[in-house]
Amino acid sequence: MDSMEHGRVIDSNPFVDIATHLFLEDLASKVGVAGLNNYLISLANNLAGSMPEEEYETWDEFLDALKNGHSILSSFEDVHAVTKHCVVTRRSPFERGWREYAKRVGAFSKVHREVAEYYNAKAKSTAVNSLHIILHTFRSAASKRIQVGGKPLRYEQIGTVWVDGERNVVGDDRLPGMMKRAGISKTRLGMLLRNNADVWVLTAE
Amino acid sequence: MLDVALVSLIEDLIDKAGADGVIEFWQRVGENLANRIGKEAYMGWTSFNVAVREGRTAYSIEGDVTPLTDMAIADVDGDVVGYIYAMKQCCYFPTAMRVRYTVGRLSGADLAVAREYNENFHNIAWCNFCVFHERFREEVAKNIAVAGNPLECLLLATRGFDGETRISSKNLAKININHEHVRALLRNYECVYALLMRGARLKEE
Repeated sequence: MDSMEHGRVIDSNPFVDIATHLFLEDLASKVGVAGLNNYLISLANNLAGSMPEEEYETWDEFLDALKNGHSILSSFEDVHAVTKHCVVTRRSPFERGWREYAKRVGAFSKVHREVAEYYNAKAKSTAVNSLHIILHTFRSAASKRIQVGGKPLRYEQIGTVWVDGERNVVGDDRLPGMMKRAGISKTRLGMLLRNNADVWVLTAE
Repeated sequence: MLDVALVSLIEDLIDKAGADGVIEFWQRVGENLANRIGKEAYMGWTSFNVAVREGRTAYSIEGDVTPLTDMAIADVDGDVVGYIYAMKQCCYFPTAMRVRYTVGRLSGADLAVAREYNENFHNIAWCNFCVFHERFREEVAKNIAVAGNPLECLLLATRGFDGETRISSKNLAKININHEHVRALLRNYECVYALLMRGARLKEE
């Protein structure tokens, strides 16, 4: 068994991820894109709900837990805080599974993209494929389980970049406010989107 | 995180479709995956076993597989018609540990699905994934030809998370290998299966 560095859990076997992708594709063939979207959302909410709540006295204490992998928000991702409120995920937690899928199975089924488009239209988010629906919903639900200085955490997604470089950034109507809360400029956002998988904002409400 | 989310999905699916419904899902997904990987052909057992060692066959998607070339399966004429293969670590073990260290406890979903499978299909499963990859391996075998002959896969034995073992008497009887040989293998391996030429005339006990 691999060691658990900095409190992070061991890597999954990508075969399990591939099986899950196919499981979702099978589900989509029965319940359609809208049904799959609902399923993914409920799946992510259930997952977050099954994890323990957290409380931190200060923002710095929370950021330490986040970067050391001790918070539920960093259980599955290698996250870094580039400012006090702007967080990036270096590599997508789905990269290994997707690469193995592409290598062994072939092109990613188009239903993963279709459901992301459906989700973005409903939730005004930046999903590129079905996996981001799980990730974004999970972060949103998990952040509500975390209190910093007695206030619940608020999560917002600024931009998503998939393994192949395809990116989706939040609309111009919401972007300036989010960048202000994140403490980054548009140029800095471009820099972050070049070599990270996700850029997001965390604030205490 | 997809694998940990999958556990929530299975818990939810058991509520909606029952453990038998989950088994149907998994079996269909196993078939789909095998068929999407496609066909393979090898000149003979030597080239197939080298491909297994080098991780080039459809079975390599599961992780590291060891061909036990000292355990050949012979037909009535004494010709080699198959071998035994083994995995040191169950594909699902990392996921089980990831669930433990993110959610905080193991899921009861594995037990529910495995129990249903063991009672009604084949008494060899420890978790959801055993259900999926028994069918997956059977279907993959049909798509692999060695010296022009399609293969058949027989799942022989498994060792569970807690060290308990399950050995398939019906499959061992087919290839004329006794329990003690397989029990010895389970000290070093967690999953043992046989690949042999479909329709081979095997020695009687």
